[in-house]
Amino acid sequence: MPRTRRSLLAGAAGLCAAAATRPLRAQEPGLFGPLGGDEFREPTAVLTVDLPQLQYPGKWNPRPGAMRELAVELRLRTRLEPVREPSVVTADSRRLFDTPFLYVAGEGNLPPLGAAAETALGRFLDLGGMIVFDAADGGADLGFEKDVTALLGRILPGAALTRVAADHVLYRSFYLVETPLGRTSTFDHVLGIHEEGRLKALLVRNDLGGALARGESGLFTWPCVPGGADQREWAFRFAVNILLYATCTDYKADRAHVETLLRNRRWR
Amino acid sequence: MERWRITAGHVPGPFGLVLVLAAVVLAIVEAARAYRKPVPGVSPRLRAALFALRCAGALALLAVALELSLSFETTSSAGPRLVVLVDDSASMGVADAESPGQKAMRRIDRVRELWRRSEPARAAWKEQGLAVQVRRFGEGSEPLTGETEATLDLAARQPASDLTRAFAELAAVDPAVDPRPLAGVIVVSDGLFDRADRGADDPLVLAGRELGVPITAVAAGAPHLVDLALTELRAGEFAFVENVVEFAADIEAHGLEGAKTEVVLRRDGQVVATEPFVAPASGQTTVRFEVAPDRVGQFVYEIEVRPVEGEASPHNNRRAFVVKVLRDKVRALHVAGRPDWDVRALRTLLGRDPNVELLSYYILRGADDADREDPFAPLSLIAFPTDELFKEQLGSFDLVILHNFDALNHQVGRYLPDIGRYVEEGGALVMIGGDMGLATGDYPAPALSAVVPVDLRVPTGLDTEAFRPTVTDAGRRHPITAWIDHSGLSNWTALPPLDSYNPAKLARHEAEIGSAVLLRHPEGGPLLTIAEPGRGRVLVLSTGASWRLGFHADLPIVDGARPYDLLWLGAIRWLLRDSAADRLTLETDRPTYLLGAPITLRAAALSPSYAPEAGVEIGWRVQPLGRAADDPGADPNAPVTILSQGTWTTDALGRASETLAGGLSVGAYEAVAQRAGGDEAAAAPQQARRVFLVQAAGRELTRLASGPGDERLKRLADATGGRFLRAADDDLPAAPPLAPDRQDRERVDSRRDIPVWSGGVAMVLLVVCLGGEVLVRRRIGLA
Repeated sequence: MPRTRRSLLAGAAGLCAAAATRPLRAQEPGLFGPLGGDEFREPTAVLTVDLPQLQYPGKWNPRPGAMRELAVELRLRTRLEPVREPSVVTADSRRLFDTPFLYVAGEGNLPPLGAAAETALGRFLDLGGMIVFDAADGGADLGFEKDVTALLGRILPGAALTRVAADHVLYRSFYLVETPLGRTSTFDHVLGIHEEGRLKALLVRNDLGGALARGESGLFTWPCVPGGADQREWAFRFAVNILLYATCTDYKADRAHVETLLRNRRWR
Repeated sequence: MERWRITAGHVPGPFGLVLVLAAVVLAIVEAARAYRKPVPGVSPRLRAALFALRCAGALALLAVALELSLSFETTSSAGPRLVVLVDDSASMGVADAESPGQKAMRRIDRVRELWRRSEPARAAWKEQGLAVQVRRFGEGSEPLTGETEATLDLAARQPASDLTRAFAELAAVDPAVDPRPLAGVIVVSDGLFDRADRGADDPLVLAGRELGVPITAVAAGAPHLVDLALTELRAGEFAFVENVVEFAADIEAHGLEGAKTEVVLRRDGQVVATEPFVAPASGQTTVRFEVAPDRVGQFVYEIEVRPVEGEASPHNNRRAFVVKVLRDKVRALHVAGRPDWDVRALRTLLGRDPNVELLSYYILRGADDADREDPFAPLSLIAFPTDELFKEQLGSFDLVILHNFDALNHQVGRYLPDIGRYVEEGGALVMIGGDMGLATGDYPAPALSAVVPVDLRVPTGLDTEAFRPTVTDAGRRHPITAWIDHSGLSNWTALPPLDSYNPAKLARHEAEIGSAVLLRHPEGGPLLTIAEPGRGRVLVLSTGASWRLGFHADLPIVDGARPYDLLWLGAIRWLLRDSAADRLTLETDRPTYLLGAPITLRAAALSPSYAPEAGVEIGWRVQPLGRAADDPGADPNAPVTILSQGTWTTDALGRASETLAGGLSVGAYEAVAQRAGGDEAAAAPQQARRVFLVQAAGRELTRLASGPGDERLKRLADATGGRFLRAADDDLPAAPPLAPDRQDRERVDSRRDIPVWSGGVAMVLLVVCLGGEVLVRRRIGLA
């Protein structure tokens, strides 16, 4: 029963730490430790980040649990603190504006969302939000891409989805990623609308959610083709990059970072 | 000669005049008929006497009715006028010579010699009946009289030379005051006038033509000049701190080929750059200075080419100008302990501003994340250069933002005292709350605590209940948050609620560092607190949810901006001491004044909460900036002489002002206002400063070479039919060119009026004559 023994040891260590902490916490303010700090700080509430997904009439959730899995991976790999259960919002809901990030998945076609919903999405983007569209067909059907293009044409008149260049900061916001892989690897690039110095909308066409989603059994629901586990790992890395870009924007394009990366030959 | 005439003091209207004249004529005609008609018993002598009485009475009536007076005038013939205009400006005091070997002579002395030499010609002018009027001109013109007229003993110190204006003053002479017709003008000058020479359209020539008489021009200058002059200056009114700006000066050299000197650039009297200078044979050289102002403010710069021995004038060797140095790019360090929407919002705002040079370091993964990571995963992460940021480069930042940053976990704890000192020495610090940093007590350094208005000794924890802040009285006035009240949003119902709060407490020393709470949590705790410790400024925002002010379904837009932008842009302006956010301001009504013009200083005082501060005592003074412009030999380290000073007490609106009567000489000056009791060295915010220049009206001594002046004078003479002469070679002409169609006029030298109607004489005469006639007629039976 090694597992039980480790649990006991961990529990004992926790109790010791708690016992050691109490007298220090009882001290008067102003008595700082050797570093000038209190090394035994109590945990506080955490400011979490939601990864909401848009719900609409139709196939709005072709890869159930994809965002939840991404939230887990973000917590494990980065300092982001996503919520454990990402929310689901509708375009006409006031909760749309609870988070300046929105994940929109779809398969086949994206049905019309209605004028009110489109107005809300336009305001969402104008105020600084970012929408990631994920085509679950992975390149087999261009219906979703066509409808997303039309939708964006209506809510961002004059803007067009264009190829996000390979040297865009999106590919190095956390990992150095060369190709935006998903469940498939049909496309070697993503499309985006770049305005006001930021990506307002992103269209991923390699079924990113399909690579992330895990079923009740704990196993990944869909196989990644043709690269298998490696491709899935790269899909996770790209998904992490998207969220780091969403929260830090072009932070990794700052001169200090670029110079350091080039100096270390870690980025071409 | 003398003459007399009868004048009427009162002329009645036409009807009245006809009536009076008719009555007089009728009376005289009736009397004449009576005189001619023989009457028995009445002798012709008696009839004649009656007629005489009637006539005298009628005339007396006329005198009274028309208020007649006798006018006696002494007149003389007014001959044509010849005006001699002599230049009395400073350039006439410059010495030059006919050739390099000759001894230099001041131009005004050359003119004086000409005047003496031309005495016979002057006598001839009078013999010809010319009325000679000698006037000097500089900024204006005025007649010379007595000894000065006879010798032309002029000082040549006028700061400008405006012949066009002198011509205009001649043209404006009222003929009633001086009826002598202008027949000719003689101009004696070096031809270096204020107004620009525009060739064919030269306003001077046009004004000369307007006089309608020949203008004889006598050039006072000589071709050989020894001088260095700073003729043109190219400098903008604004520069940016730490950015290279160029100041260029054109230096004109005459007669100093090969002479070595140097050109210096001063800021507020202190030399900041020097360039060697070797004088060319003749002509213009451009000297350029490239400087990077090291601080923001208003400064007087001066470029001077150091005088060389024998120069005609040292006063044209330097020029001063005022430059306002602005902040170019604000260098901001943004350190965040975790990426989130609040970090994103602030980064987007700062990154969007082209005036902000943003250096960001965000902690993207923790130590436990790193342990889990595939060691071969290609990451874009770089080491957190703590020593470089918080030790070596800290002073280079205008603004440091610690955003939800767990400093102790990232070995920044040891640098916290440095951040405290950075603030003390003038830096700006922002601390933003969240679930780390303030919440976890990550800033536990006494030196940092001493400059922060909230208590950093205790972790505040994090409250995630949504709340609507309240705006304090100070917040309603303060530039960071005043927009909330001005927009009618102070009850916060139209603004998004915030959903994170670090329940901080104010530090015990908060009053000592001039703190103010601008926004509060509904339960009373400070949410947005500012302070001014030492020379720096600190802002603590005890929430990590301010991003919600920029992203909400019903977000109000205020003056075209999101509330989030207004809050943070106001905060940054205040933190960086944007002049609009200073609590003591001093302004002059202009940066540059003409000599003698009044100078107005205005101050305004605001309290720490930005309310107008009444009753504040402000000491003010005006002093020369660096060395006096007119004193090249002054010791730059000598104590500054205060030229004017006093104390203001601000009015109910926190204002005070003073107007100086304009007694300052040409030069650069500094006006300083300081709150009474403020420590000038340590508390810079308590002091305000402005610089200004006092300059002469023209640029009289900018260019001294006589050649261009001679050409201009010659053109003037040619255009008006006059002659061009040189003072060194020629005498004044005995018969100067004069207008051909002139006509002599009679001039009344004196006039005396004797009223015949007043004083009772006319009335007595009237009564005696008319009454006597009636009485006589009765006695002889004619009535």
